[in-house]
Amino acid sequence: MYLTRDEERILDGEAGPGAQLAIRILVKLGDILGAERLIPVASAHVSGVSYKTAGDAAVEFLRELREMGAEAAVPATTNPCGFDERLRDILRLPGEVVRAQEEILSSYEAMRLRKTLTCVPYYETRPESSSHLAWAESSAVAYANSVIGACTNREGAPSALAAAIIGKTPDYGLHRPENRRPELRIRVDFEPEDELWLWALGFLIGELSKGAIPFLENIRALSDWELKGLGASMASGGMVAMFYTPDSPPGAAHVNTGDLELVEIGEEDVRDTIERLSSSDEPDLVFVGCPHCSIEELELLAALLRGREVREDRLFLICTSRYLRGVRPSLIEAIEASGALVIVDTCLVVSWVERLGIDVVATNSPKAAYYLPGLSGVRVRLANLRECVELACPP
Amino acid sequence: MAPEEPILVLRGRGIVEGRCRGEALVSSMPLSFLGGVDPRTGVVVERGHDLEGLSISGRILCFPHGKGSTVGSYVLLALKKRGLAPAGIVNELPDPIVVVGAVIANIPMVVGIDVGEIETGDLLELDGGAGIVRVLRRGGPRPCI
Repeated sequence: MYLTRDEERILDGEAGPGAQLAIRILVKLGDILGAERLIPVASAHVSGVSYKTAGDAAVEFLRELREMGAEAAVPATTNPCGFDERLRDILRLPGEVVRAQEEILSSYEAMRLRKTLTCVPYYETRPESSSHLAWAESSAVAYANSVIGACTNREGAPSALAAAIIGKTPDYGLHRPENRRPELRIRVDFEPEDELWLWALGFLIGELSKGAIPFLENIRALSDWELKGLGASMASGGMVAMFYTPDSPPGAAHVNTGDLELVEIGEEDVRDTIERLSSSDEPDLVFVGCPHCSIEELELLAALLRGREVREDRLFLICTSRYLRGVRPSLIEAIEASGALVIVDTCLVVSWVERLGIDVVATNSPKAAYYLPGLSGVRVRLANLRECVELACPP
Repeated sequence: MAPEEPILVLRGRGIVEGRCRGEALVSSMPLSFLGGVDPRTGVVVERGHDLEGLSISGRILCFPHGKGSTVGSYVLLALKKRGLAPAGIVNELPDPIVVVGAVIANIPMVVGIDVGEIETGDLLELDGGAGIVRVLRRGGPRPCI
């Protein structure tokens, strides 16, 4: 890989051991991934924040990197952690778990990463179209590439952090225009009736795409929250980092897709996908906000919950970012008047749900349905937003 | 290291510089470090894995490639700090999780090697700079290292 004189100096340790380790990571990755150089990034978004999923190894690595004096060179945001004040109390988390999580957060803060603690950092600071980013968090990667038209590979926790510290990323994959073309046509023979059907379709497309960039050629116009969940579902179903719809922004209309392999997906296939990910049992807890709810979803929830009351024996948890919670306090009040709780900084997928001793979680997110059983040992019932409200509130 | 005539020389691509000698621990399955290896003991804990219950510490760990969470890279550093890391790593494919883990933990690593050529218990010498793995002895008792 070609390195500038400045980059060589960092590699030689002249900018300190933290930057040296960070650029070593980027150069080794660039070498194996076929990059010829490093390119500047406008921002980094870092995963590996929740102590539940990152563990003691992350606590130790981040402590070491902080002690080496590493600091972010570009604006850098962080993924959800394991709890906010409310969830910490609801889950009665032991002191050592709370301390380990707090040490992770203080290490990131010391390295000048922002404590955004959300998987939807783009609602606070929207990257420019065509800008280069180094983002981890697969759902945010899909959104950045496909909805915003920015360029980012699907970074891992260490490579996104290294990119934050150096302000650069290896130039390969989705940073290069020739790798951003659609590679597979998807045609559906039905109109997804709600967000759950759309997102389950996305999960199935993820499984079928095998890493290719899909073009959904006959999907209806989708709203922002539908696109956010569609990308998240594709990414959890199978590593999709970018997708096209007929309304995609960056030059999609000019792409000739006629020669691409065509995959047809029927209503039955999506029904099977929902059934495969879902249990039909009564939920103990209802969860919405994977990825974190946008303002649009909070508005929908406030409308659906008007005049309703959450059952006494059920928890209704709605996850969003601390930033979005502060944007429209009246929406949060309207939602919480029902007894539902708006949780920030975290989400059930990366928290310790198993401590609630519950069996079944209802959610509208196929991504959550995919991860929760393995991470927390609960079963999941998939239901759309309206049904989630019905499951949480008595008629 | 005393010169010793290898019975097999495998040439791949060096990823992390450094030389080491040790007993091979070979798997035919991809390995996840996060959740798959206990960072406090160095023992593989992934259920159903062909290395389940075995310690990777001090061995030259040979497997096709990594899988799972990218935070797995940090597990290799945690093992290293406890003196429980593998002495070296041999992979068929370079995948970012293991490569980053070997870089931050400074574990000599070679990729592009058919690990099917190596058997658990073989005495190996690994040269991470040159990208070479030498099989010095097949099977046999565990050497003092």
